[in-house]
Amino acid sequence: MDDKRGELKKLIMDTKTLPTLPGVIVKLNSLADNDRASVQEMAKIVSSDQVLSARILRLANSPSYGFYRVSTISNAMILLGVNVVKSLALSSSIFEIMEKNSVGLWEHSLGVGVAANLLAKKLNLPECEEISTAALLHDLGKVIISLKCEEAEKRIGALIREQELYTSEAEREVLDTDHSEIGGWLAKSWFLPDKLSEPIACHHNVELSENHRIKTSVVHVADVLIKASGFGDSGDPYVPQIQQAAWDTLGLSRELLTEIVDDLEDKLVEVKNFSLELLGDS
Amino acid sequence: MQKIPLMLAKAGMILAREVYRSDNSSGAPICGKDTVLSDALIARLENMDVQTVYVEGNLCGDEGGRSLEDMLAELDRRFSKVRSNPLSEILHDIYSDYLKRSMGDGGGR
Repeated sequence: MDDKRGELKKLIMDTKTLPTLPGVIVKLNSLADNDRASVQEMAKIVSSDQVLSARILRLANSPSYGFYRVSTISNAMILLGVNVVKSLALSSSIFEIMEKNSVGLWEHSLGVGVAANLLAKKLNLPECEEISTAALLHDLGKVIISLKCEEAEKRIGALIREQELYTSEAEREVLDTDHSEIGGWLAKSWFLPDKLSEPIACHHNVELSENHRIKTSVVHVADVLIKASGFGDSGDPYVPQIQQAAWDTLGLSRELLTEIVDDLEDKLVEVKNFSLELLGDS
Repeated sequence: MQKIPLMLAKAGMILAREVYRSDNSSGAPICGKDTVLSDALIARLENMDVQTVYVEGNLCGDEGGRSLEDMLAELDRRFSKVRSNPLSEILHDIYSDYLKRSMGDGGGR
């Protein structure tokens, strides 16, 4: 059993077979460690890759962040933070695959991004942008499974339908691990900060998160909300339980959730607009 | 009546509710109920950053044609595994109230 999991981990960590990581990232990483590097310098590096810049700007202008008309990379860096831009650059190739092959999952991810952003703002949490980014990336593992383990993906799909399992349960049955753990591995191998990798790795089990329980709780609740709303298609036909730990961590209440659902449903129509525009482009 | 993204609005559709500016939903409406949409009007709404409109009938794709009963039944199906959990039940109630409110005549801004 352990072997299967270990093999899979090796396969995933083997970055050579992953969608290419832009060389820009390596440069960005070395600059980010340098205290004297300015945002302008970093922006210049990202801007040198036009395709990458276009994708980052597109995401920066998505309803998940609630900014509109971010038109330059240095604005995006200032508004979203260097970490966020870095993780968007990293995931841009993943997003490209998602947009084309699994529109449902792409819409689900955007939706969870929006829900997390609304929750974070309503609760006056710090680092809203990081929370949105973690939410946008929370199902990274699913994309990897569909890229790397096509056969297994089919078996997982069949299990979900036939035995009415949750995706994570079916994944553990077939792969001995699940998309949240896989997403966490990948985020770590990309050297994303804990505040992004922990919510990705623990969004189905908030109690596992040690250092970023609040962010993890937001992503968990946002995921549940979007599944409840039926927006997009995460591959999971059933709404998971809202975890007590997340409810308590965020101090949720019926009143608060009612307000959030109202705002969220309004915003989701915008998300639909955004994703239709994207599909129209390609 | 159906709420649709402006992207899907087409000339000939009829507005089921007044349209408000997205940045000032409590101000005066910019377009009245029962107006027939034209391409020029849609372009103007786009310029004003309007994101969604309510139109008569159930015109678009998969969202269309679903009655409140259908939507509530789908909601129940999605929640079928967690109805015994009190927190999840709260969320279920919130969504079912939301659907009843938004499909009724009261909402719209």
